[in-house]
Amino acid sequence: MKDTLNEQLSALVDDELATGEAALLLRQMGKDETLCDRFARYQLISDALKNNLPAQVDPAFHLRVQAALQDEVAPQPAPASMQFGRLFRPFAGFAVAASVAVVAVLSLQSVRETAPQNTPAVAAAPAEYIRAEGQAPVARSSNRDLEAYLVNHNEFAVNRGMLPYVRIVGQGKQSRGQEDVE
Amino acid sequence: MTVHDVVNRLVLILLCCCGQVSAADSASQWLNSMSDALKQLDYDGTFVYQHNGRLDVMRIIHRVDDGGQRGRLVSLTGSAREVLRDDRSVTCILPDNKSVMFGQSRAQQPFPVVPDDIAAISRYYQLEDMGGDQIIGYSARVIAVTPRDEFRYGYRFWIEEDSRMMLKSDLTGADGKAIEQVIFTALDIGTDIPASDLQPSLSGDGYTWHRQTEIKTAEDPAQGSPGWVVRQLPTGFMLSDFRRRRLHEQGSDAEHMVFTDGMATVSVYIERTMPETGAFTGPSSMGAMNAYGTVIDRYQVTVVGEVPPATVKMIATSVSRQGSS
Repeated sequence: MKDTLNEQLSALVDDELATGEAALLLRQMGKDETLCDRFARYQLISDALKNNLPAQVDPAFHLRVQAALQDEVAPQPAPASMQFGRLFRPFAGFAVAASVAVVAVLSLQSVRETAPQNTPAVAAAPAEYIRAEGQAPVARSSNRDLEAYLVNHNEFAVNRGMLPYVRIVGQGKQSRGQEDVE
Repeated sequence: MTVHDVVNRLVLILLCCCGQVSAADSASQWLNSMSDALKQLDYDGTFVYQHNGRLDVMRIIHRVDDGGQRGRLVSLTGSAREVLRDDRSVTCILPDNKSVMFGQSRAQQPFPVVPDDIAAISRYYQLEDMGGDQIIGYSARVIAVTPRDEFRYGYRFWIEEDSRMMLKSDLTGADGKAIEQVIFTALDIGTDIPASDLQPSLSGDGYTWHRQTEIKTAEDPAQGSPGWVVRQLPTGFMLSDFRRRRLHEQGSDAEHMVFTDGMATVSVYIERTMPETGAFTGPSSMGAMNAYGTVIDRYQVTVVGEVPPATVKMIATSVSRQGSS
């Protein structure tokens, strides 16, 4: 199920999703922040692969996309002239997708134009552990201490494969694993 | 053209000359020259970092000038975290928890990626030249580093034929599948890097600053900890450093032992537990970097490294006081 959704999101980014599927997926995205976040990431990765990234990307990008989607997909009272709309229903998905693209472009442009040089555009959610079921909660301060170890360790990492700080910069989240996972 | 530009171009020419004898190069030579390229070249690239089904896009900028090496790594997605590093200090700006971690860097390693002693590595890893490939328009050589036991991860590197820059890397598990990937999607090598590109985009104003400091002592780092011993390490892991450091203002001084087999590195931190912070026990991870915590006699023992979860656990649970059985 998750794989299918991922494939649909990827196809939506590439404008290759069938009209009906696109409309359904966009409706789901309007209700599901996780799905919206994933779409935002796919969009950015697509931009990165096309070497088309802006200088700075708004961390709250997906929230704007979701807000726009909620506005788009909320049921509206149909005015008389909307009878015409039935004729164009097959294109509804494309219309929403196009508006998402516009929101995306506008939000990225607005960051470029208005974000002050030395301030974060939007504060993101705090980093936290993902705690395995049945494990005792870990004090927040000890989480921070663990992060200090992880940051410090990078100075000593000789790992060839990863630029060591990629893990700190990228995820901003430590995962608590299952005890006794081997 | 500045002196720096001339030096930069000479480095490029030298690396290009190395590329001409690529047929005779061994896998280890490719790794060595990749290490040199990462340290000596100026570059500005965008890459995708993939781990556990999650994708992040980041930008890395690296410049070498009369002041030494300077690097900046910034997230283009997620919480806009940022790391700046030069030959004196490393600064991690973490907007998601409004904190900045500031510490001393280790000299001559702007982004410490590759060790110099390749020969020792082949005892614990098999090095193979897997042939050529194409990445973002560059011709690359693929080098595979496969561990000879289950205590380590494996690696695959796509190395640009001329400059020897790393274009892609996989960290691989026991089944050979990638568990972590870095893939450049755009890369300018030998480009002019303006100083402004190495400045942080966040000021850190209003953030809590956490300073990590090394405690100067008369102890010989080669002797390791006088009070603690690690009784079980995978074959080939040797003590490479021992320091006392303070990693957080409220905490006590920590003993820090570093072990490496030449590819992977493991840190062992030992410090007195503080009632107000609580203890960290059990496994944790950040990307493919795993950690395992345990408490011994009111001391917090934490092992961190780019090795499988079972390895950090094995090491952590083998730590004991000197002289105890």
